Amino acid sequence: MVKQETKMKRLINAIWIFNWFNSCGFCELVPLVGSRWDMERFGMIITGTPRHADVLFIAGYQTLKSIRRAQIIYEQMPDPKAVIALGACTMSGGMYWDSYNTVKRLTDYIPVNIYIPGCPPRPEAVFEACMKIFHHVGAVPPHGRKFAKSHSG
Amino acid sequence: MADAPHRENKVIDEISSKFKVEGKFQRERRIWVATDKESLIALCEFAKGLGFEHLSAISVTDWPGEGTFELTYHLWSYSERILLTIKTKIDRVNPVIDSVVPVWNGSAQIHEREMHELFGVEFEGNQDLAPLFLEDWGGPPPFRKDFDWRDYVREREYDKANERERVYWD
Repeated sequence: MVKQETKMKRLINAIWIFNWFNSCGFCELVPLVGSRWDMERFGMIITGTPRHADVLFIAGYQTLKSIRRAQIIYEQMPDPKAVIALGACTMSGGMYWDSYNTVKRLTDYIPVNIYIPGCPPRPEAVFEACMKIFHHVGAVPPHGRKFAKSHSG
Repeated sequence: MADAPHRENKVIDEISSKFKVEGKFQRERRIWVATDKESLIALCEFAKGLGFEHLSAISVTDWPGEGTFELTYHLWSYSERILLTIKTKIDRVNPVIDSVVPVWNGSAQIHEREMHELFGVEFEGNQDLAPLFLEDWGGPPPFRKDFDWRDYVREREYDKANERERVYWD
């Protein structure tokens, strides 16, 4: 019996990513795109649509309006899929912890597999998280998860 | 500019000849005009006739001490190259004012919609004051000064009994 993790590695040779970045969120991934760390040499490609993506990168503070769009994007991604949250604001609201319009607990809205702390997270940490994705896909139910707080539209 | 106060004062004089306003030469190319809410629409139409055809922004200032909202209309004239600021005060408890959408159309609409959402000002005559940024918002208009957003968030989002979240109260 082949382990789920191995099966996943065979299935996904390269991680394709869809970015959902608010505010300064994209700054957190820019070093990876650049030539110094260059994520494409590991086969990590940013897709133009969630329907091609294996992993959802979610960064920057999430507002109550934008998180609905993130949920719709998550639903559009094919299974198996994983969510990686980058940075302090995404995880806990960060410096916007007392804002009436930000998401304070991301897991209430989207099933997050890996959190990468930091402001911004180090590129090495992002690579490490991507390596660990294969340990986590086994924990993802085949048909996604229900959202604790769902979007209505 | 050599004739700096001249052009600006000419605009102030033209407005004061028709309306009971307090005009003020603020500095070069900047004029403030204070009016009451009854003559606002007529003044706006007159200003547009003078060449102030671009409505840059509408903003609201909250003065809880004196119980008023101060509405500020920033108008730009391409021909005169002057920024005209029209200010008017309305009651804070019953914040109703005529919409300037009939004067400036679409550019006024989005600003009024935003000010309605953030301050709760009613713009009579604006057809679409639906929420702009805040979806499913149940609280008071958040930009009012008497709205304590930190308390609001603490009550709703954080658990004081939780050791990790208690720091938000300290």
